[in-house]
Amino acid sequence: MDFILSVPAIVVGLFAAAVLAYLLTKANKILGALITVLGSGAALAAMLMLKGDINSVQSLGALGFKLTDYGWFFSVLMLLIFFSVSFFNLYWMKKIIHPAAYNFLYLVALAGTVGAFTAKDFIGLFIFWETIVWASMFIIPFGKSRNASVVYYAFSAFGSLSMLFGILYLYSKTGSFDIQYVLEQASMNTTYALVAFITIGIAGLVKIGVFPFHLWLPKAHGNAPDTFSPILSGGLVKAGGFAAFLAVIVMPSYKVFASNALFLGRELAMPVPNYILVFLGAVSIVVGTLMAIKSEDFKKLIAYSSVANGGYIIIGIAIADSLSVGGAFMHMFAHALASAAAFLSAAAVVHRTGTTKMSELGGLIHRMPLTYLVYLIAIISMAGIPPMSGFISKWMLFQSMIGKGMVFTAAAAFFGSIGSFLYVFRPLSAVFLGQLSPKHESVKEAPFLMQVPMIGLSLLTLLFGVFPNIVLRFISDILKTAGLDGLTLNGLVISGTNGQLNPSLVSLIFGIGFFIALIIFIIHPKSRKVDLMDTYTASEFIYTPELLHYSYAFYAPFERLYENAPSTEKWYAALIKKIEEAGQLVSYTFFNNKPRIIVFWMVCAVIALLWGGSL
Amino acid sequence: MITGILTGFGILLFAFVWQTSLDGINRKIVGRFQKRIGPKWYQQFRDIFKALSKTGVTHGWVFDFGVMMALGGIMATVMFLPVVGYSAFPGMDNFFIFVYLLAVGMLGMAMSSVGSGNPLAGIGVMRALTQMVGYEVPFMIVILGIIFGHNTSSLSELAAIQQASGIMTWNLVKMPIGTVVAYISLLGMLGKKPFETFIAPAEIASGPMVEYGGKQLGMLMIMHEFATFIEVTLFVTLFLGGATTLFGFIAKYFVVYILASLISNALARFKIDQVIKFYYKVPITLAIVQALMVVFLGWGV
Repeated sequence: MDFILSVPAIVVGLFAAAVLAYLLTKANKILGALITVLGSGAALAAMLMLKGDINSVQSLGALGFKLTDYGWFFSVLMLLIFFSVSFFNLYWMKKIIHPAAYNFLYLVALAGTVGAFTAKDFIGLFIFWETIVWASMFIIPFGKSRNASVVYYAFSAFGSLSMLFGILYLYSKTGSFDIQYVLEQASMNTTYALVAFITIGIAGLVKIGVFPFHLWLPKAHGNAPDTFSPILSGGLVKAGGFAAFLAVIVMPSYKVFASNALFLGRELAMPVPNYILVFLGAVSIVVGTLMAIKSEDFKKLIAYSSVANGGYIIIGIAIADSLSVGGAFMHMFAHALASAAAFLSAAAVVHRTGTTKMSELGGLIHRMPLTYLVYLIAIISMAGIPPMSGFISKWMLFQSMIGKGMVFTAAAAFFGSIGSFLYVFRPLSAVFLGQLSPKHESVKEAPFLMQVPMIGLSLLTLLFGVFPNIVLRFISDILKTAGLDGLTLNGLVISGTNGQLNPSLVSLIFGIGFFIALIIFIIHPKSRKVDLMDTYTASEFIYTPELLHYSYAFYAPFERLYENAPSTEKWYAALIKKIEEAGQLVSYTFFNNKPRIIVFWMVCAVIALLWGGSL
Repeated sequence: MITGILTGFGILLFAFVWQTSLDGINRKIVGRFQKRIGPKWYQQFRDIFKALSKTGVTHGWVFDFGVMMALGGIMATVMFLPVVGYSAFPGMDNFFIFVYLLAVGMLGMAMSSVGSGNPLAGIGVMRALTQMVGYEVPFMIVILGIIFGHNTSSLSELAAIQQASGIMTWNLVKMPIGTVVAYISLLGMLGKKPFETFIAPAEIASGPMVEYGGKQLGMLMIMHEFATFIEVTLFVTLFLGGATTLFGFIAKYFVVYILASLISNALARFKIDQVIKFYYKVPITLAIVQALMVVFLGWGV
C-alpha cells in the first residue's frame, strides 16, 4: 500500500488543505470556502476507498495510525457530516467575522477527528482529541456568544484532563501507549480496568453531553455559527460514543466487572459500573427531553434533543450485548444524519430570515417547502418513526432493554421517545406551519448549493431506514471483532431478542397505505383553495397573522408541571460562585498590594528558608 | 408477499366495516343513555360518505398532504394487525411497529391541522401530544412486562400464548394491575372522557379538527375509525387473549369499546395538566409495580 492513499496522508492532506484554505480565503472568501468543500469531499472519497485496508498500521514520524473497523465507521460518518455541511460555508463567508480562520479551523477540526479515530497510540488519540477541542473552541465564538466557548472549553478540559490522567496512569503501569495493548493489559487487572473505565468514560460522557455534563451542548450548539452547529451535534459529539466504546467494549470492561454484577442470574446481570452509565444515560434522556420541550430557540431545542439521544447511545453501549451496542452504533449513525439535517434546515431558515427564535417565525412552508421536507424527514428519524433510520436503532435498543427487563431505564427511554414527538413537532409547527408573518412574505427557498447536502442527508436517512442492513452488516462485523456476537440479519429482516423487524416491508406497506389515501383523495371533489387567514375565529375579526400564530410557550401547561424542578444549571452557577469566592480569598491572601500582608508572607518565606530541611 | 398484502386489504375492509358500524351502534347506545332515540346504526357510514362527497376548502398543500399521510400511515398499521388468526405478515407484527407506525399517522394529522393556520388546531395538537406522553409511557411499561414475560413481541404469538388454556392464561387474569393501567391508557388513546381534552368541542372548537370539511374531514373520520380499531384490537390481543373465532373477537371488542364509551359518558373532562398529573401518579406507579412483579418475581409469566 502506498502512502498516497492512507490514513496519515488523509490527516496530513487535511492539515495542508487547512493552511491552503486560510491563505486562499485571504485572497477570495468563496475560493477559501470551496477548499473546505473539496478538502472534506476528497478526504471522504479517500476514506471510502480505504475500506479494504482496515487493520492496516502506518506511522507518520512518532505518531502511529491504525485503521480499525470502528475507527473507519466513525471516520466515514464524520467526513460525511463535514462534507455535507461544508456546502453551507460558501454562503456563510459574509456572516462570519474571521472567514479565513473559520475555514482553517474547520479543516483542522476535521483532520483532528480523523486522526483521533485512527490513532494507534493513546498519545496520538489525545493530541488529535485536543486538536478537535481547540479548533472548535475558536470557532464557537464566531457565532453569537463568547461565553459559550468558555463553557464548552471548561467541560471539554475536564474530559480531556480526565483522559490524560488515565493515559498516563496506564502508561506508568503497562509501559506502553498502544491502545490495543494497554487496554488488553488493563482488562487483566480490575484496578487498572476501573481507572481506564472511569477516566476514558468521563471523557466520552463529557463529549457526548450526558448528564451531568450536558450543559455545554445547548450553549455551544445554540450559539455556534449556524454552519458549525450541525458539525457539533451530528459529528463531534459522536466522538464521545467512540470513547465510551473504547472504555466499555474494546477493553472489555463488561467482562472485567462481570463478577460484581447486580442481580446475578437471569438476563438482568449487569456490572455496577455499566449500570451507572445506564443510569446517567436514562437521566440525560429525561433531562434532555424536558429541556428540549421548554426551549424557545430552534437550535437550542435540537441541541437538547442531542442530549437525550446521547443518552440512548450511552445506554446502548453500557448494556454491552450485541443488539444494544449495534443499536447504539446505528443510533449514532441515524442521529448524526438526522440532527445534521435538522441543524442545516435551521441554518437555511437563519440564512433567509435571520432568526432562530421560533416565536418570530411561522408559515415558512409556503416559502421554503424543501427545507420543510428536509426538517420533516430529519424529525421523523429523530422521533424514531418508520420508515426512517432512527426507527431501526430505537427498535434495537428497546428490544435489548426489554430483553434484559430493565424497567426503569426502559421507562426513561419510552418517555424520551414519546417526549421527542413533542419537541420535534414544536419547530415544525412554529417555524414551518401556521401563519406566515408579513415580514417573511418575500422569503425565498434556500439556494441550490444548500439544498444539495440537505437533500443528500435526507435521502440517506430514508435509504438506511428502508434498507438498514447495508449499515448493520458492517456494524455486525465491528461487533464481532470487538468480541461480541454479530447481529442476526437475514436478508431484509433484523432479528432481536424477542421479535423480528422487516423495515423494507414496513416502508412498502406505508407506501401502499399512502397510495390508497392518495387515490381516495384524488377521486373525490376538488377542494377550494382559501387563504391562511380565512379560518374559524369564533366570529372575531382578526387581521394580524402574528396574532393567529400559536407558537410562544407552546407546551405551557406541560412546562408548568416541572418549572420548579431542580436545575443542573443553578448547581453549576453555585459552583462557579464558590470557585470565584475561593479565588478572591486566595488573591486577597497572597496577591494584594497591602504592604503588611506582603511583609508577612516575606517573613514567612524567610523563616521557611532559614529552617531549611528540618521544616 | 402478494397474499400477505391481500390479507392486509381484507383486514382493512373488515376493520372499516366493523368499527364504523360499531361507532353507529355506540351512538345509538349513548342516545338511549341520554333518553334519546339515537340515530340509525349505519349513521356513521352516511356521515363519512357525505363528507367525502362535499366540496371542502384547503389551506395549502400540507393541509392535504398531511391528511393523506395520516390516513396512509394508519391504514398501513391496520394491515399489520393480526385479527382472528389472520395475519398479513406472520412474525412481523411486532408491537413497536404499532406504536411508531401509528405515530406516522398522528404526525400527518397534526401537521395538516396546524398547517391550516388556525391557532385552535395548534392548541389541540399541543394537548394531544401532551396527553400522549401521559398515556403512552405507563402503557409501554406494562407491555414491557408482557414482552419480557412471554419473551416475544409479536402480537399473534402473544395471542397464541394466551389462548393456551382458556381464560386462565389471559393477561387479564395473570397481570390484572397491568390490565387496569392499559385500560386507563386506552381511554386516553381513544380520547374518551375524562381524557378528551384535545378535542374539547366547547373549549377549542374540536381542536385539530377545527378547519376540516369535505373530503379531508371524511378521510380523517375514516382515519379515526381505523385508529380506534387499532387501539381496541391491541388491547383485546394483548390482554384478552385475542380471539380464534370471529364471534369471539367481535364480542370482546364490543365489550371493551362500549365500556370505554359508557365511562366517557359518565365522567367530566380533565384539564390537560390534570391529565398528565393523573397519569404520572396512579397508572405509572401501578405499571411499574406490575412490571417489577413480572421481571423480578416472575409473577404472571
